[in-house]
Amino acid sequence: MNTLDAQTWLTEHGDYLFRVARRQLHSDELAEDAVQEALLAALTAQARYTGSASPRTWLTGILKHKIVDLIRRQIREVELPRDADGEEAIDCLFKQDGHWAEPIRPWGNPDTEAEMSQLRRVLDQCADRLKPTMAQVFSLREVAGMETAEICKELGITSTNCWVLLHRARLFMRQCLELNGFSKAGAA
Amino acid sequence: MKWLPTCKETTELVSRAMDQRLPFADRMAMRLHLSMCKNCARFNRQLQAMRSQFRLETSANDDAPGLTAEARQRITTELHKKLD
Repeated sequence: MNTLDAQTWLTEHGDYLFRVARRQLHSDELAEDAVQEALLAALTAQARYTGSASPRTWLTGILKHKIVDLIRRQIREVELPRDADGEEAIDCLFKQDGHWAEPIRPWGNPDTEAEMSQLRRVLDQCADRLKPTMAQVFSLREVAGMETAEICKELGITSTNCWVLLHRARLFMRQCLELNGFSKAGAA
Repeated sequence: MKWLPTCKETTELVSRAMDQRLPFADRMAMRLHLSMCKNCARFNRQLQAMRSQFRLETSANDDAPGLTAEARQRITTELHKKLD
């Protein structure tokens, strides 16, 4: 074991790991914790690192576990939203008969790298505005790509709860993007 | 569910279909609605587009801020502590 490797990991991959964690945890502090815990775990586990994956991939794998740990720890402190919460916001989108209240406007396709990074910034900002529990479930599903069954198990919530949270989060995110200028006349 | 779901019901089906395989009847009902409703078809495309933007691999190396110098120092200290 040597500190040299861990120090190199921090230098070379620290920013990358932080951004990955930040995207999912929606908090600078928690993201820093996740990076720290991942590197400490990597230090302990480095004997098992075979070199078949790149260090970055290997570290990212460890980081994902730490992110899930942090989210799980957090979610115990957060109450699951009850029906009133968010249900109204959804109802506003539809008329009594279940049709859209307003037409859905098309989004433009971001072509340039600048437009792409603008889109990612807005996505991150919108995700930061989700209610905590919603943000966590949404991150695990849409950012980390975990299966819903796995998420339910990890977080100890029912599949119905999980699904309701995801649906509300998606509606909110779509709305948020639209309000931030991602609808464009004439595009598909 | 009725043979043709409303827009509100269709958004629920679209969202659910992103997480699990829908029962046959629901899947058919959703497809039928999407084939006739421009708004819901757009909604569906937008959710799919959002997902592909979010997936880790395509989106992590942007120009978002990295670790602060303080955080870096703190982590270095922890790493050293672990070895002592």
